[in-house]
Amino acid sequence: MTIATDRLSFTFAALADPTRREILKRLAKGEASVLDIARPFKISLPAVSKHLKVLEKARLISRGRSAQYRPCTLEAEPLKEAADWVDQYREFWEQSFDRLGDYLKTMQLHEAKKNAASRSRKRR
Amino acid sequence: MTPDLQPFVISRTFDAPRDLVWKAHTQCEHLRHWWGPKGFKITDCKIDLRPGGTFLYGMQPVSGGDKIWGKFVYREIDEPEKLVFVVSFSDENAGITRHSMSSVWPLEIFGTSTFSEENGKTTVTVSWKPFNATEEEIDAFEAGRPSMMQGFGGTFDQFEEYLKTFD
Repeated sequence: MTIATDRLSFTFAALADPTRREILKRLAKGEASVLDIARPFKISLPAVSKHLKVLEKARLISRGRSAQYRPCTLEAEPLKEAADWVDQYREFWEQSFDRLGDYLKTMQLHEAKKNAASRSRKRR
Repeated sequence: MTPDLQPFVISRTFDAPRDLVWKAHTQCEHLRHWWGPKGFKITDCKIDLRPGGTFLYGMQPVSGGDKIWGKFVYREIDEPEKLVFVVSFSDENAGITRHSMSSVWPLEIFGTSTFSEENGKTTVTVSWKPFNATEEEIDAFEAGRPSMMQGFGGTFDQFEEYLKTFD
């Protein structure tokens, strides 16, 4: 596995959890302390800390260095990579489907010709 | 796998009967006319249409350049309604290489294509999500953690747009 692949798997795994996505949405508004982040959730502080650790490992957030107050900040780069990946895959299919639409017309013409030919053979 | 990760979905309706659309998806003589992103042509195609079988394809930029190989490994084949498969990059012998046209693309993908027909028109719905982003991988990743990219990049607009795809 390449480093980029690993990192992307990691990003997607971190994003797979709805609580973590909510945390990221909160941080999109600006940096926040663990207490601020925990407030809207009905889960314990240690549980929130655990989610923050996963996000930190995935490099989706960074934590301040001060021992007492370690504000969390959103890191956009891994999200950008994940979004690029999604876009490229979507494009692959969309562009293929554009061509398939035209190609199916060709296929139908062929089928029609084949059927006409076999009908005229049968008549003979 | 990450089972609670919502799949991404693309859907398209074609003015053709389902049998034909199914053929176009499962036979090389047809796939080579439409499969692949803009600017690429299919140079090689091999299909073994059965669960565990492989669709291996090679494509090349029309402008010239190296071939890129990709493959599907079929998991489920329910003609003419449904295909389930795992997509990855490949080499010409169908070994998974995770080689890619982009450094951020080569994850394995778990895909499902469904085909439904109504009034002679066929709707193809492709859903897909990253495959194999497991806890084990995360642990392995942690063990061999490379130094990572630093600093801020990207925009929050893109981030928000991305999050929306999960809702």
